[in-house]
Amino acid sequence: MSIGYPPALHFLSDLGIEAQVGPGSDATARIRVTPHVTATDGGVRAGVLATLVDVVGGAVAARVLRPDWMATADLTLEVVRPAAGPFVEARATVVRRGRTTLVIEAGVFNVLDEGSDVTVGVEGLRPVGWATMTFAVLPGQSPTSNLEVPGELPDRWAFVGDGLDRPVVEALSISVVDAAEGRISMPVQDYLFNSFGAVQGGVMALLGEVAGAEVLGEAVGPGGNFVATDLRVAYLALGRVGPIVSRSRVLAAQDGGPHRSAVVELFDAGAGDRLTTVINVGAMPAAAAAMGSGW
Amino acid sequence: MTEVSPDDAVAPDAGGPRRLVAEYFRLQQWEIPPTGGQERFSEFGGRAPVDDHQRGAGGGLRMGGLLTSVDSIGGILAGLSVQPDWIVTTSMMATIAHLSHRGPLRLHGRVLRRGRNAVVTGLDVVDEGNDDLAVAAVTMTSAVLDPGGMSLEFVRPVRSPMPPPNPDPQTPEEFFDIEPGEGPMTRLHLADRLRNPWGILHGGAVATLVDVAACRAVAGERADGAHGDPRGNEHAVALAAGDTVIHYLRPARVGPVEARCRVLGGRGGRTLVRVAVHDVGAADRLVDLASVAVLDV
Repeated sequence: MSIGYPPALHFLSDLGIEAQVGPGSDATARIRVTPHVTATDGGVRAGVLATLVDVVGGAVAARVLRPDWMATADLTLEVVRPAAGPFVEARATVVRRGRTTLVIEAGVFNVLDEGSDVTVGVEGLRPVGWATMTFAVLPGQSPTSNLEVPGELPDRWAFVGDGLDRPVVEALSISVVDAAEGRISMPVQDYLFNSFGAVQGGVMALLGEVAGAEVLGEAVGPGGNFVATDLRVAYLALGRVGPIVSRSRVLAAQDGGPHRSAVVELFDAGAGDRLTTVINVGAMPAAAAAMGSGW
Repeated sequence: MTEVSPDDAVAPDAGGPRRLVAEYFRLQQWEIPPTGGQERFSEFGGRAPVDDHQRGAGGGLRMGGLLTSVDSIGGILAGLSVQPDWIVTTSMMATIAHLSHRGPLRLHGRVLRRGRNAVVTGLDVVDEGNDDLAVAAVTMTSAVLDPGGMSLEFVRPVRSPMPPPNPDPQTPEEFFDIEPGEGPMTRLHLADRLRNPWGILHGGAVATLVDVAACRAVAGERADGAHGDPRGNEHAVALAAGDTVIHYLRPARVGPVEARCRVLGGRGGRTLVRVAVHDVGAADRLVDLASVAVLDV
């Protein structure tokens, strides 16, 4: 069933997200794992997982808040082992509904085609990732939203597109301007818009992932291959004009381990270099990331 | 009109028991007004020593202590930006870069966004005693609220000196009245000295509880033969809390307060723990939700 968003020619449609909203305050959403959305540890890229959890969180929020609407205010995601599929499913539930905000948590799981969990020993009982989101509640008739909030939302739907025919970073036209400085650039296009006509929040997280992994990899020397494992995203303003550009700084290695962190700031260059998003990115070398286990 | 210092804002009954949380971590604070008459918000600076009794297994100030200081700076920074209203912290997203600190630590905070209902602040922490090595970066969100009958007026620019060392130092577990133990549940008793001016559990106490509980949960699971340690655990490792996210959902007013943990897995010496904090005496309601990356050190 269609809910009028997104259009067929859209990033979310090309991910092929299928979603289901439960009768209470919960929802699931899943994608098929393809080489076009995976990182070098064999799991789905953190930025794509962030997109998935943003969608499933939005599905819950839309159901719980109607006739009001919402905007993602912050999103956190930690991936504890590669999300290798064959499908990856996010399961979201409401933690707290307040007057101005809604807090949601989501587990991310490797699942089989028919929907059962992939189990490998005791670790199959655990998620591959965990996320939280805060949504700001917007009045349904808010002048900031150009969306006509539907009176009824379906219980199941699928975003159906042609699918990605190349790696997601290429599909989004993300270019690395200066890896050592963590500077990347991405044009703004309808293909990436959310219901406000601005770049979708998951895409902003993906930009942070790319910039963070680049700057952290370069910090250890040429050819450093880092995989992002955790994202903490604060959405400050919409990215509408573009290009969206980044500035990054390396924090440091956490003492004694392979994990490293960077802070990525995203700016809307066409809107007076307005700061739109701050993303703290954690990453580790691909070899270490691929060895994810229960610990 | 009531004029108060930042410490008084945290604890209006100056000299009373509530001042103890503010004094325990000995945070010095100073406002940095905007320059050149620009219509911007003040920034804020802070400095905290790393007293030996507050050091954790990583060698530096424990995450809970670090976030208590961050909460103080971010709180005053956000609060001043919305006066005459005030704020309450709703979430903290902390990235910890270094666990080992020489100290003192220096904090710097700025307002990233002030909206009608919320303020977002960004705070950086560096190790002043180690060439300003990056220690942490934190994004904090606060909800704007009506302070009710409490009138908060400040002498600007706001400054408060570093409190003196405590002659009878306590560990964070002792100070925050956290029961000894190990395993997936850790309990805190809600002593009056741990309440903020609104009578609810101090955000720093929550951060410290989450820190202690997450480390105990990982230690307990590794000691549990039912799950075992896939690495063999031939050599026991010390544990310290690193990157942390806390959502402050509802006030904890009654107590005792329980942190219930679930170890979710991890890689690269980094184990993720989900921590749900419940106010047992208030119908066991969920008051805080956190995730902590517990690090092998």
